Parts: sequence; structure tokens; C-alpha cells
Amino acid sequence: MSATRYVGQSVPREDAIPKVTGTAMFVHDMSFPDMLHAVTLKSPHAAARIVSIDTPAARALPGVRAILTGDDLPYRLGLYVQDKLILARGRVRYQGEPVVAIAADTLEIARAACDLVAIQYETEDPVLDPREAMKSGARLVHPDLHTYSYMKGVFAPKPHTNVAHQQKIRKGDIEAGLASSDVVVQGRFYNPPAPHVPLETHAVIAHALPDDHMEIYTSAQSPYTVRNLLCLSFDLPHANVRVHVPYIGGGFGGKAGIQLEPLAYCLSKAAGGRPVKIVATREEEFGTLPSRQGLHTNITLGATNEGKIKALKVKYVWDADAYADYGVNVGRAGAYAGAGPYNVPNCHIDSFVVYTNKVFGTAYRGFGHLEVMWGVERAMEIAAHKLDMDPYEFRMKNVLRTGDTTITGEVITPGHGRPDKCLQAVAQSLDWGKKDTPVSPNKVCGKGIAALHKAPAMPTYTSCSAIIKLNEDGSADILISGVDMGQGTYTALRQIAADELKLQIEKVHVTWECDTAFSPYDWQTVASRFTFMGGNAVIEASRDALRQIKEVAGIALHSAPEHIACENGEAHVDNHPEVHVPYEKLALGYTFENGNSVGGPIIGRGRYIAHGLTNLDLETGQGLPAQFWTYGAQGVEVEVDTRTGEIEIVNMVTALDAGKVINPVLAREQVIGGVVQGLGSTLFEGLLFDDEGHLLNGSFTDHKIPTAKDIPRHTEQIFIETPQPDGPYGARGIAEHPMISVPSAVANALYNALGIDFNTLPLTSERIYRAIHKKRTDQ
Amino acid sequence: MIGVFDYVRVSSVEEGCALIAAHNGGAVALAGGTDLLVNIRNTGRSPDLLVDFKDVAKMNQLVTDETVGVKIGTCVPLNVIADNKVINEHYRALAEAARSVGSYQVRNRATLGGNIANASPAADTAPALLVLNASVSVAGKDGTRKIPIRELFTEVKKTSLRIGEVITDITLPPVGPRPRSAFIKKQRVKGHDLAIINMAGYYDPDTRLLRMAIGSCAVTPILLPEINLSGHEPIDGLVKRLNAIAQNAISPIDDIRASAEYRRGLVLVLLHDLLSMLLGAEGGADEAT
Amino acid sequence: MKLHEITLTVNGTRETVSVPAGMTLLELLREKLYLTGPKEGCGAGECGACTVLLDGRPVTSCLVLAVETDGKEVRTIEGEATDGQLSTLQQAFIDAGAIQCGFCTPGMVMSARALLERNPHPSDAEITEAIAGNLCRCTGYESIIAAVRLAAERGEK
Repeated sequence: MSATRYVGQSVPREDAIPKVTGTAMFVHDMSFPDMLHAVTLKSPHAAARIVSIDTPAARALPGVRAILTGDDLPYRLGLYVQDKLILARGRVRYQGEPVVAIAADTLEIARAACDLVAIQYETEDPVLDPREAMKSGARLVHPDLHTYSYMKGVFAPKPHTNVAHQQKIRKGDIEAGLASSDVVVQGRFYNPPAPHVPLETHAVIAHALPDDHMEIYTSAQSPYTVRNLLCLSFDLPHANVRVHVPYIGGGFGGKAGIQLEPLAYCLSKAAGGRPVKIVATREEEFGTLPSRQGLHTNITLGATNEGKIKALKVKYVWDADAYADYGVNVGRAGAYAGAGPYNVPNCHIDSFVVYTNKVFGTAYRGFGHLEVMWGVERAMEIAAHKLDMDPYEFRMKNVLRTGDTTITGEVITPGHGRPDKCLQAVAQSLDWGKKDTPVSPNKVCGKGIAALHKAPAMPTYTSCSAIIKLNEDGSADILISGVDMGQGTYTALRQIAADELKLQIEKVHVTWECDTAFSPYDWQTVASRFTFMGGNAVIEASRDALRQIKEVAGIALHSAPEHIACENGEAHVDNHPEVHVPYEKLALGYTFENGNSVGGPIIGRGRYIAHGLTNLDLETGQGLPAQFWTYGAQGVEVEVDTRTGEIEIVNMVTALDAGKVINPVLAREQVIGGVVQGLGSTLFEGLLFDDEGHLLNGSFTDHKIPTAKDIPRHTEQIFIETPQPDGPYGARGIAEHPMISVPSAVANALYNALGIDFNTLPLTSERIYRAIHKKRTDQ
Repeated sequence: MIGVFDYVRVSSVEEGCALIAAHNGGAVALAGGTDLLVNIRNTGRSPDLLVDFKDVAKMNQLVTDETVGVKIGTCVPLNVIADNKVINEHYRALAEAARSVGSYQVRNRATLGGNIANASPAADTAPALLVLNASVSVAGKDGTRKIPIRELFTEVKKTSLRIGEVITDITLPPVGPRPRSAFIKKQRVKGHDLAIINMAGYYDPDTRLLRMAIGSCAVTPILLPEINLSGHEPIDGLVKRLNAIAQNAISPIDDIRASAEYRRGLVLVLLHDLLSMLLGAEGGADEAT
Repeated sequence: MKLHEITLTVNGTRETVSVPAGMTLLELLREKLYLTGPKEGCGAGECGACTVLLDGRPVTSCLVLAVETDGKEVRTIEGEATDGQLSTLQQAFIDAGAIQCGFCTPGMVMSARALLERNPHPSDAEITEAIAGNLCRCTGYESIIAAVRLAAERGEK
């Protein structure tokens, strides 16, 4: 392959200018002249029967245009298990669940109308701990689970229980593996539910149009999923539903599926077709919209005295909370990735996704992998200590290498990537083995390391498509429905297209807004697969366009396509650059001097579909779930104040085998952002509930995310480039990976510093303080 | 809209107090608004009228005078206090406390008067004002009076102000020639946060007077009994002595930010750090007699 | 509902508007003056997405009442570029890779703008303090601090 001009360079974003001037339009910023504003009344109880809803006084308020309750909306939704209603009907399943929706001329009128609605509830005892909820006799969050439809062959909700799904991995013989281990360690680990906190809360404008049509503007990661689910739920032909996604202010998985769109549509319909805008308040973003699932992990790990893992037995209990949403798939993905990037000959994993009465779980950057790696990498550390082995050496002895088999039966090839190189790079950067002397007598230092891996958790039929059209001036527009929510994929795609089309990058643009009427299909912008699949689709579309360019250039230059070379937006005859024609003259067809015209508007088409993936055997988990794996490692140096428990992150190093870094600055920025988000999960983030299921920290006052003052003193990003054979220019996705092992690396460093095992997140200063004091009194 | 209320901007204290009195409990004073407006938004309950005192000249002034001390109008924003040279040099604890409240943007609106009128047990400026022996000027329909800061806080979010009274300014009395004061706040995060615990100390090396105050550990900020140091007491002993007094004086609770146990543990740490700063790290009062 | 007539200068232009007392400056800017650069991220002064300059000082406009701005000067992100030319600060944000989703960017730039006006050569610690009230979930802040440093080096004032 010839050297690329743009791929591999730090090309700046085109969208930077609208964003830095404040002209980029987010759904928050959009309005229509006849638009209504909607608010919802939410359940104050975690579990209750709705006895009565009294709305006449609210309906009578001037300016109120529509009021809906669950009884008005007999539609069941769900990505994988159709367990959710648009508004609660008959019972509420979490505090914060919307019960009544009101659309009015102004937000103030809608809010005033809320005060005029009377709702009677009969509270029930909520089920809050998924481990309790799994036990027989537990109160059922979904007594009608057996009536719900679901994606057969992939998921299996257990009727008359709170189990939405159980994923099993069975490899080898676990009992024999444990029996033949010299050392067996056990550990219980927990991470709490945690909110995404995008800066732009969920927002949607829905317009119910005549003849069962609708137009939606939504801050969402997956326009086609929104369209598809709206069509399925309301039994509409796909052509009737048009979804637009403009700029979106962050998603992190919380905007991956469908949330407020169906309600906005129903309100618009009830209001006679006026557009209805719903914007989540920050409190609704915390307490009504879904979060990352909590996870209870029980691990048993057996290894030989030489440090080879023989057996890994894990029970994952995911807190799906009130609705399955993406949660069942997170439980699935967590299982098939649930042994970490290690060679485990005997593996037994049960991953349960369990309903409880709290705000429901959904996709969150990492899709279960941060939660799973918390347990796995902590267990690895504990095992290393028990073996009296350096934790880095222990990992290097077991990390997956070419020829090894994963726990789902996938054989590792040279093109998979190199977790060993990632670990090595991190250890080197951290000066592993050398302990720093702390600056003060009250502080101790420690270093920790952890590996990570993730493949996109996506259906076997996941696909992407792209269209490239040339404009009159020889520039090219890329139409694609993946969403650039800041991760920079559109810039990477421009770089790829510019190199493939042999066109200056200033003349290559991605049409920013996704519009399902015009932008060709893309599955979802999740799973770190957009650059991979979008890149491949754009390559194919570019080559298709280039073929058409050469075909018409061949005619124009009295030659043949196979003798045409292109560069810098011009086609010329091989070895005769003076015989040339610029793309402008070919873009819409070529016209000879006498007026004869040939060719036509150039439209390149490209697509990519996941290949070779299989469903996992429901009994053994064997199969091929992964299009590609991205491996990595993270290391951290911490300084702990032993008097207060406060931690300082001195240095945080991340190494990822990215295959090919398409844009170094964007890649680096993605990692830094993910690391800081990961630190939030590590040090202070997590939803807190009281004994009755009430959310205690549903605002920024008591749920903090990192500020500029909370970042590490120093970070480093290392990219290994073992080409992914089927990746665009060898690239793999890296979007979620920077978060994944931050918590475990930090906890491993805390062990190194303090000799204390931390198995529960977040690692607040108080938690560390208490552990230090407990250790002192125990001694 | 953040609430449903009316608004008036007054140009004198008397005008404002008269309006508040006339509204029979339905009118409240507005300074920076960073507590009041958030409360209105979060509770959904609006007063009838907001009376904005920010145009009242005397409530906007920060006057420093060697004999009188410092007089800070209620509506002076916290950033102005945090940046003031005299306060940083002679009343350092207050500058540091002011600097610790909220974010930079919030401190351009939030005021000293507002922070203490809100009377949160965790109010950051309170421990500093307590150790600096501040007093508060109050105006109401019945005239004006002065309240020592230690008599201002009565309960969680309650003060000894009578109905219709507003704080007009806060006075810090003059300090000795070599005053030392300091402030420490512990938070859950390094970014802006409410205090898990805050503490201020003041020490006059000439009179050897020591004052300490602790916040977020009781229903009000707590001023410990004044101590006059004598002889040469090593820091560790002094810390132990003061800790015993402090543990007795505070009554922390478990709340969403921290447990009572952690707060009690941090008291000991903060006492040590503050006393080291105030008395010198080598221990004991280091002044030649 | 009673309306108050106020006159304020926004990005150099005098505006006279009638507003209810309960309308915030953020709502005035976005809904009545169609300046949608400043964003609502929380409505409670915690996230900084609504940051504008009021008489030159950065404030969270969600906690400023429109009526409080009578006679005052407001600057938003829309006033940062001049005649379509990006300011040195804006260009530095682009060059340092300090923009991802863009939702925090308007408020972030205004906080940085105010900083550079009061302190043309800030240290990294001073930059951090100035932007600590602006939450960003995407970038991890390193590049934003670098952008402000770069703007200062390039002589932005």
C-alpha cells in the first residue's frame, strides 16, 4: 500500500469551528414556531401500584394541549426484551419512572399543570438487591415476564423470576481445573450503578405528521435504531418515520438506544400534530434516564505454583434494575469477555441479569467490561500476591498469545493484537519494580497495573453503509449514519476518503446531520465499531467513486480506465501527467467541446457487514461473538495520604493495540477523556439509594464528576500498532477501552501502597481511611 | 423560568427593609442568588417578591482601616474578598475560605452575607469569621443592631435574625501586628464541593491567643473555647488537648458526604495541620518573650 | 404576570426586552435573543455550560435573573469571533484538540476569555482554577488547559 497522505496525520476536526463559535445546533437549541413543551410526572416510589390518576384540573389549565397516562399507551418496547411501556401502567417499578406526561404551550404551563394532577399510589416493598431478587420467593418486578416477546436464540428471560437473562460460559472442566490448581483464591467484588452524565441531557422534538408519518429530532447515538423501534412499536412502515440527529453533546452509551422519542411522538399525536419537545432536566438525567448497571462478582481463580491459570469460575449478578434495555446484552458481553485477556483452560461463568426496583441500566462506555475487569483484574492481583509473584509477571505468564483459545473457543491469531506488548509498554513507562519515595511522612506511594480487552458487542448482522457523492466543484460529500458525538470519527472518515479518492482533504466533507431519509444505514454508534465499520464502508464507497472517476476520465482523455492515475483531485494518463482532467469536470459527467456528454453524477457506494460472527451456544457460550478484539493495559502510580485516605493520581499510563492510529491527536484525546471518566468511576462516582429505593444523589450537588482539578498529575498514551487484517488501514476501535481498567489499576496500586485489598467501588477517601484504620486496629 | 415571583431593586437599606416588612413574610432579600435561586428551583416554591440589595452602596463596599478593621458589605462577591490584599495578609483564613466556595463563576455572584445568612452548618466562611471574631450589622424595620458572629448561627439553616431583618455588613476587628490565620476544607473531590469538614484557626503570637472553629460537624459551625497558650507546649500535646475539647464540642452526623466517624477522624488531622501552620512546624509557640 | 423592561448590552449591541422576574439570563439569551451558544447543562450553577461574562466577569447565567442585568454588559461565545475571524483563543482550542462534543465549549471559552483578560500569562494552576467550574465529560481537560496555555503564548489578551 502506498504511503498515505492523511491517514496517520493529526488532521483537525471540521466541526471544531461550529462548536467553538457556538453555532453548532444541538436538539437543546432547536425550536419550531408551533412547538409545545412537555414535562413528566414521575413516581416518588420505587415500587407501587398506581391506584388512580386524576387529570381534569390539569387538562382545564389554559395552554395545556395534551396529557397522557400509561393507559393511553398500550405499546411495549425493548431492544432485546419488550418489557417497557412508554409511561408506567398499573404499577411503577422505580422511583423516577414517568407516570404522566403533559404537553403545553410553555414549560411553565406544563409544570403548573403537573401540580394539578393527583396520583394515588399503594406502595409495595421494593426489591433492591439483585442477589436477593434472584432467590426463589422474591417479589417479582415483572410478574408478566412470560408474556413479553424477546430476541430468541440470543436471550432467554426466565418466566416467573426476576432473571431477565442468564449467559453461560462452559469451557473445559472447571472442577478438574480447580482440583489441579496449587493455589485457589476467592473474591467478591462490587461496582455500583453509575450515570453517564453527558453535558447535554437527553432531548427530543417529535412531530406527528398526517397519515401516520412522523419526524423526530433527537440527541441520540443511533438514528436507525430509533427509527426501527418506533416503527416496530407503533406498527408503521419504515418510510413513514424520519429521524434526524444534529450535533449531540455526548452520549457514552446513554443515548445509544431509544428513550424519550416514543413519548414525544405520542404527545405530538395527542396534541393534534404539533411538534413536542422534551428536554430532560439534569435530575431526570440522573434519576429517570438509565445508567450503568451495578455488578456483584464472585470469582474463584486457580493457578499453579509456577503462575499458570488453571481455572476461573465466576458468578456475575448484574443489577438490571427496572427494565432490561441493553442490560441483558451487557450481561452477555460481560460473560464472553469475563475472563479478561488471559489464557484460561477451564472456565465456568454464569452471568445473570436481574430485575430490581431502581432506575434501569443501559449501555455505558465499556458495555460491562469496566465492571467485569474490576473483578477479574483484582482477582488476578490477589492471586499474584498469594503466589508471591510480581503481578506484572503473573499477567505476562497468562496473557493471550497466538494459538491460545478464548473462553468462547476463538483461536488467537497474529492479527488479533498484542496484550503482552501493551502490558510491557505500561510496565516500562511506569518504571515497574521501582517504588518512589513519597514527598512527606504521611504519604505512601504505590504502582498498579491491569490488562484490558474488548470486542464490539454487536449482533452478528451488524452493518454499516456509506455514500460518497461528488459536487460540481470536485469536492466530495460523505453520507453516513454513524454519529460523531465528539469522538472524531467523521474526521477519521474524511482522512480515509481523501486518501482513497486522491483528493485534498479540504475538499472532503462528512454531511454532519444524520437524516434517515438521506443518510444510508448504520447500525449504532456504540461498541467502538464505527471507525472500523464506517472506515471500511467509506473505503469501499471511495473506491467505487474512484472507479467511476477513472471510467469517465478514460473516455475524456481518449484512454482507458486502467491507464488512468489520480492524485490531488485530478485524473491523468499514466506517465503523461500533462494529459489530465480535474474532478470538477467529471463529477457530474464529462462534456466534450461539441456538447456530447458521457458518464453522470458520481456516487460511490460502500458497505460493511459483520462477517463470521455466530450466536453463542446458550448452554456453553461457545461461538464467535467478536469481530475484533482491542487489547490494552493501564498502569497507575498513586500517592495516598494515610491520615485522610485521600489519593493523588501521580501518573496514569494507557497502552492500546489500536492496529493503526488514523489520527494521533484524536486518538490521544479519546484516551485521556476515557481515563478521566474512568477515574470518576474509580474515585467517587456511583448512584446511592436508601433502603426504600429512593435515589439519594440525583444531582451534581451529591453526584460529582471529575473537574479540571481532579485529573492526574500526568498521563501517557501509548499506541501499539499490530494491524487488524480486516480493519480500515489496519485500525481497530479504541473508544471505550480507555475507561475499562482504570479502577482495577488504581486498586492494585493501593494494594502496592497500603497492603490492603479494595473490592468495592468507588474508592472514596473515607473508604480508604476506614480500611487503613481497620488494618491498624487488626494488627 | 426559575420561579414565579416579582422583583425589585432597592437603592437603600431602609427601602429594602420596609418592603420586606410590608410583605409579611412573602418577600426575601436577594444578594448573589446562588443559594436562594437554587432553593427556589429545587423546591418549586417561590416567594412573592425578591428584594435585590446589590445597588445599595454601603452593602457593596469593602473598607479596610487599621483602627476599625475590615467592613465588608453583604453584597460583596466572594471573589472580591478572596482577592483583597488586606484580607489575604491580615485575615488569611477568610480569604482562603472565600476561595473555597463553589466555582470561580459562582464566586463572582455568591456573597459573604449570603453565605452566612443561608446558615448552612457547612458554610465555608463561617469558621473563618468565628475565629476572626467578626460581627454582623443587621437592619430591620425597628432599626439596626450588631450581632457577634458566634451568636448568629442557631440551628441548621437558621440564624438569630428576626423576621424582616437583613445583614448589611460584616466587620472584622483589627488584628495584632503579626496575625496568623488559616483555613482547611476537606471535600469528596478536588473540584467544587460542599465541605465534609472545614476548620479555621487564628493565632496571635504576641498575645498567644488561639481560636479554632469547626464546620460541618454539628447543626451550626462551632467555635471552640479560646485558649491562651503559655510556656512551651509541644504541638502534639496541644493537638491532643484541643482534639479532646473539639470531640466534645461537635456532634457530627452520618450524611451523604461522609460519616460522623470520618469527620471525627479528620478533626484530629486538621487540628494538627492547622496548628502546625499557625504555630510553626517545629512545635510549640515559637515566639521569644 | 408582571413584566419588567430592561436594557442591557449583549456582545456590544444594546437590547431592550420585557421579561418576567423569574426569567434567568440564560433563558433571556437563548429564548428571546436567539443566542444558543450558552447551554443549559444543569440549571443549578454546577456545570458551567451556561457561562457568560457579566460586566467582564464569568458567571453561571442560569443563576442570574434577567432583571438583574438591567444596565449591564453581557458577552457570550457569539461575541468571541470578530467579523467572522476566530479569536486567538478559539483557534488555540482547535489547534490543541480541545474540542470533542462541543457542548461545554462555549462556556469553557468564556471562562478562559475572562481569565486571559485578568491574567494574560496564567500558570497551569491558574488555568485549572479558572475552568474548574466548567464540567467536561469528553476531553479529560488536559487539552483544554493546553489550549489556554497556547492562547496565552500566542499573545491572546
